[in-house]
Amino acid sequence: MLRFFRRNFAGYAFLSPWLIGFFLLAIGPILASLYLSFTKYNVVRPPQWIGLDNYFYMFQMDQRFWKALQVTFSFVVISVPLKLIFALGVAMALDKGIRAIGWYRALFYLPSILGGSIAVAILWRQLFNYDGVINSILRLFGGDGPYWLSDPKYSLWTLIVLAIWQFGSPMLIFLAGLRAIPQELYEAAEIDAAGPVRKFFAITVPLLAPVIFFNLVLQMIEAFKSFSGAFIISGGTGAPLDSLLFFTVYLYNEAFSFLRMGYASALAWVLLLIIALFTAIAFWTSKYWVHYENERG
Amino acid sequence: MTEATITPAMLSTAEVARAYREAKAKRAKRAALLKHVFLIVTSLIMIYPLLWMLASSLKPDNQIFGDLGLWPREFQWQNYWAGWNALPVSFTTFFWNSTVVTVLSVIGNVISCSFAAYAFARLEFSGKTIWFALMMMTLMIPYHVVLIPQYLLFLNLGWVDTYLPLIVPRFLAGDAFFIFLMIQFFRQLPRELDEAAMIDGCSPFKIYWAIIMPLSLPAMATAAIFSFIWTWEDFLGPLVYLNDMEDYTVPLALRSFISSDGVSQYGPMFAMSILSILPIILFFVIFQRLIIRGIAMSGLK
Amino acid sequence: MAAVTLSEVRKAYGNVAVIHGIDLAVNSGEFLVLVGPSGCGKSTLLRMIAGLEEITDGTIAIGDRIVNDLPASQRNLSMVFQSYALYPHMSVRKNLAFGLVNLRMPRDEIDRRVAEAARILRIEELLERKPRQLSGGQKQRVAIGRAIVREPQLFLFDEPLSNLDAELRVQMRVELASLYNRLGTTMIYVTHDQVEAMTMATRIVVLNKGRIEQVGTPYELYNAPANLFVATFIGSPKMNVLAGTAAGGRAEIAGLGMLDLPGGISADGQISIGVRPEQVVIGAGDLTVSGTITLVEYLGSEVFLYVRLNSGDTLLVQAPGQSQYKIHDSITLGINSKEAHYFNGMGLRLG
Repeated sequence: MLRFFRRNFAGYAFLSPWLIGFFLLAIGPILASLYLSFTKYNVVRPPQWIGLDNYFYMFQMDQRFWKALQVTFSFVVISVPLKLIFALGVAMALDKGIRAIGWYRALFYLPSILGGSIAVAILWRQLFNYDGVINSILRLFGGDGPYWLSDPKYSLWTLIVLAIWQFGSPMLIFLAGLRAIPQELYEAAEIDAAGPVRKFFAITVPLLAPVIFFNLVLQMIEAFKSFSGAFIISGGTGAPLDSLLFFTVYLYNEAFSFLRMGYASALAWVLLLIIALFTAIAFWTSKYWVHYENERG
Repeated sequence: MTEATITPAMLSTAEVARAYREAKAKRAKRAALLKHVFLIVTSLIMIYPLLWMLASSLKPDNQIFGDLGLWPREFQWQNYWAGWNALPVSFTTFFWNSTVVTVLSVIGNVISCSFAAYAFARLEFSGKTIWFALMMMTLMIPYHVVLIPQYLLFLNLGWVDTYLPLIVPRFLAGDAFFIFLMIQFFRQLPRELDEAAMIDGCSPFKIYWAIIMPLSLPAMATAAIFSFIWTWEDFLGPLVYLNDMEDYTVPLALRSFISSDGVSQYGPMFAMSILSILPIILFFVIFQRLIIRGIAMSGLK
Repeated sequence: MAAVTLSEVRKAYGNVAVIHGIDLAVNSGEFLVLVGPSGCGKSTLLRMIAGLEEITDGTIAIGDRIVNDLPASQRNLSMVFQSYALYPHMSVRKNLAFGLVNLRMPRDEIDRRVAEAARILRIEELLERKPRQLSGGQKQRVAIGRAIVREPQLFLFDEPLSNLDAELRVQMRVELASLYNRLGTTMIYVTHDQVEAMTMATRIVVLNKGRIEQVGTPYELYNAPANLFVATFIGSPKMNVLAGTAAGGRAEIAGLGMLDLPGGISADGQISIGVRPEQVVIGAGDLTVSGTITLVEYLGSEVFLYVRLNSGDTLLVQAPGQSQYKIHDSITLGINSKEAHYFNGMGLRLG
């Protein structure tokens, strides 16, 4: 008994801040949120059990829920692949000892580190104004830019461009991955008379698959969670015409503008399940296209 | 035989090889040049919006829109002065508030996450694998899912409209990313160091303090830097918990510029935006190497 | 100085047992070497004595104290690690003093001990350097210094020389031996290098698969190995082993002929006959065989011949360095019965 205590004491002592946080701020809230999702709760009066009503309402009647899903999915499906393609392209251009790599790397990464800031969201709003920078550039080439911010057809693109602009961190991860590919493989391929395209698809892509997979999962989760950009650019509401109604923005408004905490909790759980589902799908399919060269324990 | 005709067959192999090498070097040079052009153009596009914002922060309002130039015709420095005092509360307060929240959060994160990481990476205790798996799972949980119950918890504790909801979770190792980053680092330190220290009479805490910590300064610095940047930029937390403008952090104050009804003060707004990201840019310039290595190592955001 | 007593010591990781009931008495002031192939459990055993690894069952006593539940720091021992495990962020002086400071020893006593250790190990001019500024041999000295400043009653060494190059290893071996002669403290030393074991040990423990195969002086191990494992493990190059069938005082060696067993040995059934390369006679012996040389290894002072016998066995033979044997030469070899080792069907020594 004494031995058992002594063996575990130090570990749990060091773990205790995290353990408290885990119960109070992670697992506790998740369970509480599950409970609240079966209630009607406006903070003022105690939660009132209504069973699955929140979920029935959500799936059967709530147009905005479906709109939010559609907006979020469009954002994820368009922005993540574009971002990754960009990141990989730049990483490949940076690979193999190009001069001034440090400068390029820093410049490309800078937007990612600023991307979550309100300053950048505010900037973005102005860039895409009707008489903002983007349209001025389009005019230089004789085009006529749309009302990016107020036309629901175009508004989402402002956020997609914002997301792609922040390709820095997947780029760095790709760069680290590319460095890990042995140079001899490319030399061997050259002797086997493989051209650049063939080398890319026969060597780079398969050997980089674990890294691509990692980036994909990470960026997907990030995209589902993104909030501040949409919140600021849409003025906090998802406008115009709910075309920027990201799931997180909708959830925030339900909870903190309309104090529908029960319903917002149900939304939160749906978000959690969607993210879990996408992660699971990514992991499940990964065994078909990701091959780890050496499985180390 | 007065006329010497040189046939290809007469060229020595050395010459052929040299010609081949030269052609190859030329090709490589051209490829590098193309790459540089591509990279320069891309990085200019990347950086242009930020430079435009900087320029706009120094222009009069009527010259901001429709002007692509990066050099103001006249430098309107008073934008900064005007912006600093544009809101009912001065930005001195906002910067002070942000600094308090950020510094305390960084301290909390580094201490509590390194504790947890040390336990996971170095100590043996029953249930470790389960806790580790749960810790890794929390990496995936979106903040929005725990936001409402956390809000209700802090509301009941009477902590809304204080900084406690923003700071206390940082002391409870709320950010699993940092734990993960530190675990990765700790695992690279040889275990025999711990064992030598054990024989030298160190308690687990002394090993953490005298051996692991001093040897992990790069990891601690990386975590501190990211923690700084994320807390400084954090918007949702302050948005939910702070209602009184006196308590606003910088990002929240910035938002007041756009929500404050149509009064166009774009120059001052950009001026304050620039100031708000200045600490981050400074940090980035100073700690660039640590930041970039940190991402490559752990796949952070 | 202290004796160390292990009784019925076991270690298991989950259901996998790696040490199966070790009984061992280390005498006070002895230089005991644990040797065995990799994975035999020698390091685990050492770490259990150190207190770095928990004991699943049994007891370990240092002096007259049972230390099973004592943390490493309270066992009054020092350990030198294979990787030296010097604290990279501390100067050599701080590395040496660290354990003493933890014991809250007075400042001047610490200084005295550090100076003394530095003098013995000739690292005085290195005291202010960081470990990364030291060569391998210097690191090794500092690691040993860190062990001796504590003036423990027991030293533990975990393959301390295996990271050094060959020349330095020989030099450090000599220094370690003279350090032992000077301090006279009990030392337990783990190695997989039998030259280290043979040259430094007062006694050697041969471990295999978590069990003790034999404990004895280097002389005993070499000249009277208790079983086939020890016989083939100790000695380089390895002992030749031939299969035979014994009946009373005589044995038939498969395909080679009959050999009279030396007096006092008799057996029936399958036996193994072991002959060290230097004990094979070139020319006739009690049993004379002939074969063809398939490989010649010239080492200068001696030559090793790989001889394929008519029976199909290969014998490794040591010949003087000046001998002029060539591959494909025919050769006649003799085995003298008194110089051979005999093991029964279980691999245990006969006689």
